[in-house]
Amino acid sequence: MDATVLARRALELDAIAGDLRFHVVDMVHEAQSGHISPGLGAADIMTALFFETMRIDPKNPDMAGRDRFVLSKGHSCPVLYAVLALRGYFPIEELKTLRRLGSRLQGHPVIGTVPGIDATSGSLGLGASQAVGMALEGRMQGQSYTVWALLGDGEIDEGVIWEASAAAAKYKLGNLVFIVDRNGLQTDGPCESVMPMEPIDRKFEAFNWKVLKMDGHDMADILTTLQAARDYRSGPVCVIASTVKGKGVSFMENTSEWHAKAPNDEQYARAVAELRGGRA
Amino acid sequence: MSLAQAKHATRRAFGGRLLERAADDASFVVFESDLGKSSLSNMFGDAYPDRYFNLGIAELNTMGAAAGMAAGGRTVFVAGYSVFLTMRALEAVRSVICYPKLNVKLYASHGGLTAAIDGVTHQGSEDIAFMSTLPNMKVLVPADSVSARAACDLALATPGPVFVRLMRDPLYERYEAAETFTIGGSKVVRPGKDITLASYGDIVFQALQAADALAGNGIDAEVLDLYSVKPVDAAAVIASVRKTGALLVAENHQKRNGLGYDLAALLLKEAPVPFDNLGLEDRFAESGDYFKMIDKYGFSAARIAEAAERLLLKARPRR
Repeated sequence: MDATVLARRALELDAIAGDLRFHVVDMVHEAQSGHISPGLGAADIMTALFFETMRIDPKNPDMAGRDRFVLSKGHSCPVLYAVLALRGYFPIEELKTLRRLGSRLQGHPVIGTVPGIDATSGSLGLGASQAVGMALEGRMQGQSYTVWALLGDGEIDEGVIWEASAAAAKYKLGNLVFIVDRNGLQTDGPCESVMPMEPIDRKFEAFNWKVLKMDGHDMADILTTLQAARDYRSGPVCVIASTVKGKGVSFMENTSEWHAKAPNDEQYARAVAELRGGRA
Repeated sequence: MSLAQAKHATRRAFGGRLLERAADDASFVVFESDLGKSSLSNMFGDAYPDRYFNLGIAELNTMGAAAGMAAGGRTVFVAGYSVFLTMRALEAVRSVICYPKLNVKLYASHGGLTAAIDGVTHQGSEDIAFMSTLPNMKVLVPADSVSARAACDLALATPGPVFVRLMRDPLYERYEAAETFTIGGSKVVRPGKDITLASYGDIVFQALQAADALAGNGIDAEVLDLYSVKPVDAAAVIASVRKTGALLVAENHQKRNGLGYDLAALLLKEAPVPFDNLGLEDRFAESGDYFKMIDKYGFSAARIAEAAERLLLKARPRR
């Protein structure tokens, strides 16, 4: 993409990401339950993936050669449901049913509920393993699809992440990309105090992964980096995305407090005003 | 009745059948975690290297990756020791395989105390409890080569997750090649009228030998092979106890949450009769010879026969 086209596309996607953030706040407010700030922080990356980078077709959600997406940090699923709805996989009105009895929008994503869900996640770490299996399957089928997995930075505490990383390197899975949502916060506090995992880049490099870095809120940077990740076919790629947990709602930013808390009506109104104002 | 010595263990029969099926069925693959020489999945790996994935000593990732591949429609057999597949990787089996009903089949060698000499860390003595508790999971435990081959075919033919528990060492052969097996089925391996002895896997042979010993004391025992531990053939169990009036379950497993507990609940609801069950008494076993071990821990032929006599004495004191 040339610079002008990229800049124009980035602006369009920024507007969609704003909508996505509104729906995340709206869903969690409606449900009075769910993970709000992890979704806000990942909204720009999710928009880039589902509206630009991934080869998908909402009208043909089970298309054999489609790119696969694994929300390994499954708790962030309000943003996954919202991006699928905005992309046309199912009606936007259904977003209001999050976490209700009988809803397809379960508390964490499950294969076989709404179209567009490729993996069952929520048990941290297991998304990474499933992504490895999907990449192996893509190779077996002779398909050229890419498997994208979004991981939390707290999630990489899980030993299975490193088991999966070793396996991906063994099989030189050039069709596999992990994106680590590096917001620096996990449930009980700052990642580096709960379980220091730095240097994350050198850990993945030591596992024979290609490592790329991006600003997870700079749409042009996201688009460029994800394309580079897709184009690299010699082995697995880990993209470390610097993000702000709760991005877009000032009082939810950079705190663990809003990891799994629902806003009351007053907080909801303030959040929506900020998000609407922010994309004027 | 004398039992025919087996040439091969059930793990060998199952692995051999998988290899045969691979020739005309390209739909499945095998995942292993560096125990291929023990599970004997290496036979498959040698013949079909492109369909064999050895993911190293990392059972949790192996199970998760199996789910990922199965999500694309492929059937994945995950081979290994029962204790590691069902306990190290339990949560993956539960949440990303059973929950979304994926076609992942657990090819679980060294079930129960059949890894006896290796000691407790390698004995899958709680595997049935874990697997049969999971919704959508089916549990098969073949006793001999013919039924182990059939379990392989059933696992392939049945949608969703299936757990097959296999034994390390050759024991005996019971079934003719033409015998048929079904999910939810069972076999009356010895008809009788005085007491029902129910078991699965290796302990079926102990029950048969116990029945022979009981016959010498004038007790005509019926022996059921409940090779489909889940779903269990409840109708066959009820029909048998309505005839015999007593049920003794023996299994190479913890008593707690094993087949005995399942059938006790069934009988209380449907057909209350005098009942007892044999298995590990809420304790771990140890290293040792398999036959001495199953005797010491209470589910050899001799222990089954004693328990049957005790049960009948309690049930019919004037007998």
